Amino acid sequence: MKKNSIFSRFFTFLVFLFLYAPIILLIFFSFNQNNSNVVWGGFSLHWYKELFQNRIIMRSLYTTLLVSLLATVISTIAGTFAAIGFYGLRRRTRNTLNTINNIPMMNADIVTGVAMCLFFVAFFALWKDFALWFNSIQGLVVLPTRLTLGFPTLLIAHITFNIPYVLLSVSPKLRQLDKNLIDAAQDLGCTWFQAFWKVILPEIKPGIVSGALTAFTMSIDDFIISYFTAGSASSTLAMTIYGMTKKRVSPEINAISTLLFVSVLLLLAIINIREARLEKQTARRQAAPSATVAEMARQKPRTVPPLVRFAAAGACGVLLVTAGVGAFHNTRKPVVNVCSWGEYIDEDLITQFEEETGILVNYQTAESNEALYSLLKSGAGDYDVIVPSDYMISQLMEEGMLEKLDYSQIPNFSLIDDRFKNLPYDPTNEYTVPYTWGTVGIIYNTAMVSEPITSWGAMFDDRYAGEVLMFRNSRDAMATALLYLGYDVNTTDEAQLRQAAGLIADAKSRGVYQAFVMDEIFLKMEGGNAAIGAYYAGDYLTAVENNPDLAFVIPEEGSNWFVDAMCVLKDAPHYDEAMAWINFIASTEANLANMDFIWYASPNKEALEGYPAYYEELYEEELDQETYEIMAAPAETLERCQSYISLPAETRRLYNELWITLGIQ
Amino acid sequence: MSKELIRLSDCVVKFDDEIILDHLNLYINDKEFLTLLGPSGCGKTTTLRIIGGFQKPTSGDVFFDGRRCNDVPPHKRQVNTVFQKYALFTHMNIFENVAFGLRIAKAPEAEITRRVEEALELVNLPGYGSRSVSSLSGGQQQRVAIARAIVNRPQVLLLDEPLGALDLKLRKDMQVELKRIQREVGITFIYVTHDQEEALTMSDTVVVMDKGNIQQIGTPQDIYNEPKNAFVADFIGESNIIDGVMPEDKVVKMYGKKFPCLDGGFAPGEPVDVVIRPEDIDIVPVEQGQITGTVTEVTFKGMHYDIIVDFQGFKWLIQTTDYSPVGARIGVKIDPDGIHIMHKSRYSGMFGDYSSYSEEYDELSGDPAGSEGSDETD
Repeated sequence: MKKNSIFSRFFTFLVFLFLYAPIILLIFFSFNQNNSNVVWGGFSLHWYKELFQNRIIMRSLYTTLLVSLLATVISTIAGTFAAIGFYGLRRRTRNTLNTINNIPMMNADIVTGVAMCLFFVAFFALWKDFALWFNSIQGLVVLPTRLTLGFPTLLIAHITFNIPYVLLSVSPKLRQLDKNLIDAAQDLGCTWFQAFWKVILPEIKPGIVSGALTAFTMSIDDFIISYFTAGSASSTLAMTIYGMTKKRVSPEINAISTLLFVSVLLLLAIINIREARLEKQTARRQAAPSATVAEMARQKPRTVPPLVRFAAAGACGVLLVTAGVGAFHNTRKPVVNVCSWGEYIDEDLITQFEEETGILVNYQTAESNEALYSLLKSGAGDYDVIVPSDYMISQLMEEGMLEKLDYSQIPNFSLIDDRFKNLPYDPTNEYTVPYTWGTVGIIYNTAMVSEPITSWGAMFDDRYAGEVLMFRNSRDAMATALLYLGYDVNTTDEAQLRQAAGLIADAKSRGVYQAFVMDEIFLKMEGGNAAIGAYYAGDYLTAVENNPDLAFVIPEEGSNWFVDAMCVLKDAPHYDEAMAWINFIASTEANLANMDFIWYASPNKEALEGYPAYYEELYEEELDQETYEIMAAPAETLERCQSYISLPAETRRLYNELWITLGIQ
Repeated sequence: MSKELIRLSDCVVKFDDEIILDHLNLYINDKEFLTLLGPSGCGKTTTLRIIGGFQKPTSGDVFFDGRRCNDVPPHKRQVNTVFQKYALFTHMNIFENVAFGLRIAKAPEAEITRRVEEALELVNLPGYGSRSVSSLSGGQQQRVAIARAIVNRPQVLLLDEPLGALDLKLRKDMQVELKRIQREVGITFIYVTHDQEEALTMSDTVVVMDKGNIQQIGTPQDIYNEPKNAFVADFIGESNIIDGVMPEDKVVKMYGKKFPCLDGGFAPGEPVDVVIRPEDIDIVPVEQGQITGTVTEVTFKGMHYDIIVDFQGFKWLIQTTDYSPVGARIGVKIDPDGIHIMHKSRYSGMFGDYSSYSEEYDELSGDPAGSEGSDETD
C-alpha cells in the first residue's frame, strides 16, 4: 500500500515535471547572464532591464493591452446582447444561429486572418473610389482616400473573433434561467428595462464575466489573426515575440514570457482566493440561520459599496480614454513604417532617430524574403522602407513595386563603399541603399568532427549522418548542392537543378540531415546537438560567443555573398520620413552600432574600416583579426563567392516544385 | 357573497392560428380562493397570465375593479404572482428577494425591514433572510416566492401550479399552509393546477377548463357531486360513465335494466351519460345484485381495493374494502343517490371505461390517450 503511494506520488511528480519543465527552464534562462538558452553564464537581471528599455516590446505590450481591453469590452457588450437576442428567437432559428456562431471558433485562425485581411483590403479599395467621388462632388468634408491596415482593423478583427466566445458562455446561462424571471420582476413592479438591469443581468453575470475573461485571453493570445490585420503600423506582443524568435529565442523573450506567465499566475491566484473567500462567507452565513432579519439587512452592504464601484468604473473609463487618445495621438505624429528581419538592428538606433527627428518608427519584421514578398503581394504590408536581399530586390523592381529614391535627401549615401554601389540588382543605383552584406558558409563544431571541414561535400556526407543541419529555404539549400556540384548558383538549367535537388533528396533519405532549420540552428549548434550546419557568417559570430568550439568556413568550392539593401515601396505614404530614416541608417555611427550588435558587415566604408578601432574602444580589447575577416570577408574570399540574382519566373516555379517534392515545409 | 373584483369578458387568445382561449367569460369575487383546474394545454395558465398582464387577449376585455385593464402593464397592476418554478432571484439572498418589490417601490428602509420580517414570519421562515436561495429546499423556496409576492400587499395573488415541483407529503402540508395564509391576509387567490385533489381541498370556487373553454364553475362539492359532463366527471375523481336512457324522471335504463335515481327533467327516452362513482357501488352476492359481472383485476390501495369488474364488456372501477378474488362473479347494488345523470356532450363516450386501467391511470386521467380504451367498447 505504502509502496503504491510512493509510486503514485512519483508518477504525479513526473506528470507535473512534463507540464512545467519547459516553463521552469524558460524562467531559469531568463536570469542568464549571457545570451544563450543552453549555456549558463551566471545570474543576472540584465535581460529584465533590457526588456523595460526595449521600446518595441513596450509599445507592443501597450498595443496588446489596449486592443485586448477594448475588444473585450466591446465584444462582451455585443455578445451579451446578441445572446439575449438569440434567446428570444424560436428554437429552430436559434439553433441555426448558434451553429453559425460556432463555425468561426472551429475555423482555422489562418483562414479567418487571411479572410479578414482580404476583406479589409477590398473594402479599402472600394472606399478609395467612394471617397474620390465624394470629395469631387462637394467641398465641405474631405474624406481620406487612402485607408490602411492598422489599429482600427486590428481592433475590429479582435472584436469579431471574440464575440462568438462571449455568446457561447452567455447563452447557456440564459438557457438555465427560469423562464418566468423577467415576468417575476415585472410582476414585482419593474419595467422591462429595470427587470433586465436588476435581474437578468446579475443572473447571467457569471456567464458574462467568464465570456469577457475568455475574450481577453483570446485577444492576448492571438497571433495569427493579428498578424494579418495589424498592418505595418501596429504590432501586438505575440507578433513582436514571434518576430524576435525568428532570429533566436533570446533571453529577453524568456524574460517577457516569464513576466507574462507570472502575471497570469497572479491573476488566477487572485480569482481563486476571492472565490474561496466568498464560499467561506456563504458557508458561515448558512451556519447561522438564527441571525435576525435586521442583522441581515445590515449585512447587505457587504457587497461592494456603490461608491467604490463608481470609482473603479471611472478609473477604467479614464484609462481607456487616455489609451484611446494616446493611440489616436500617435497616429498624428509623423511616422515611418519599416519592415526588416528579426534582431537585425540595434534598437537604440530607433530611439535615437525618434528623438532626433520626432518621427515615430513602426518597426516590424518578416521571416524571410519570400514571406515578405507574399505579404507585399497580398496588399497587407503597408510599409515605407523594406530591407530585402539582392535577388529579391531585382524581383520587386521587375514587378514595379519599388519607388526611386531621392538621393538629395540621403547625403550619407556618399559614405557607402563603391564596391556596394551599382550592383547587378540595381545597376544604376536608383532604388537602393545597402544595409549590410555577408557570406554564407558552414558552421561546425570542432569537438564533433575529426578533421576541419573544407568542402560543401560535408553537407551530403554519410560520416556525419544525423548531425547535419540544412537550410530551410529553397534558394540557400539548393545553392549548397549547386556549389558542391560545381554549377553556377544562378543556373537556370533544369537538369542541373534537378541533379542538385536529387543530391539533397538522396542525402535526406540516407538520414544525413538532423533537420532543416533557419534560426533554430543557434540552439542546436550552441548546445552541441548538431555537428555541422550551413548558415550566415554574422550569425556564426553570435553563436561562437556561447560555444567557443564552433568554427566557420567558406568552402573551397566557393559560396554566396549577399547584400541586404533598404528600398522604398511604390506609393509609400511617408516618403520623406523614409528618406530621413535611410539617411540616418546609412550614417557611420549607425553602421558601427549595427555592426557591433548584429555582427553583419557594413557597406559604409568608414564604418567597415573603423570597426576594429571602435571595438577596441568599446570593449578595451583588440578585435580578433580572424573574427573580423569572417564578418567582413576580404576581397580574395569574396572573389570565390557569387551573389544571387533574380531567377526567371519559370525557374522559380521549378524551385518551388523541387522544394515541395523534397517534403519540407 | 363579496363584490366582484375581476371580470374576463369574451376573451380570445390565439397563437398563430391555434386557439388557446375560446371566448372565455369569467368573474372572480374579492377575497375568493378560485382555482383554475384542467389538463395541460387547457388554457388555465393563459387565463392567469391575462389577469397578471403578461398576456394580452387577442380579443375581449379584462376588467379589474370595474375598470378595463387590457393595456395596463404587469408592473402597474395590483396583482402579484407566485410562479411555477418559483422564479427566485438567485443572485440575491432571501431577504433581498422578498424586499425586491418594496425596493422598486422605494419604500423606506425601516418599513422594508419590518414588512419583510412579517412576510417571512407569515410563511414560517423567520430568520432565513441571510440565506442564499440555493441553500433552501423546494418547499422553503416556494414559501419565499409566496412571501415575495405577499409582501407587496396585492389585491390578488396569482399562483401558477406553485406546488407542482414538490413531493406529495410536502404538497399536502403546503395546501393547508396556503389556505391558512389566504385566510390571514384576506385577499383573492387565483390558483392554477391540474391536480383535482388540490383544487377540491383549497378552493371556494373551482373552474374546470378544457380546450380553452370553461366546462363547469362551482363549489368543490358541486363539481364533484354534480359534474356537468363526462370530461368533468372523469377529471374530478374516478367515474364510471355508462350510456343510458331516461325513460322517465328518476329512472335510468342501463344494460337493459331500470335503476332508480334522483335526477329528473330530461325528455322521455333521452340518451344520457350515467356517472357512478367507484365508492358508491356496493358489492353483493350475485343473486342480490342489480347486475352481475366478473372481477378481472384487483389492486390493493391501502384503505381499499381497486377492483375492475367486467359488465358485459364494459369495465367498471369499484372501490371497496371487501376483497374479491380475480375471476369471481359478483353482483352490485347502487343506491339512487349514487347515480348521477348528465346530458350527452361532445365528451360522451370518451371517458369512464376502465378497460385500459393501470397504475398509471391516475396520471393519465384527462389525457386523451386514456380514452382510447373506451373506444373499443363502442
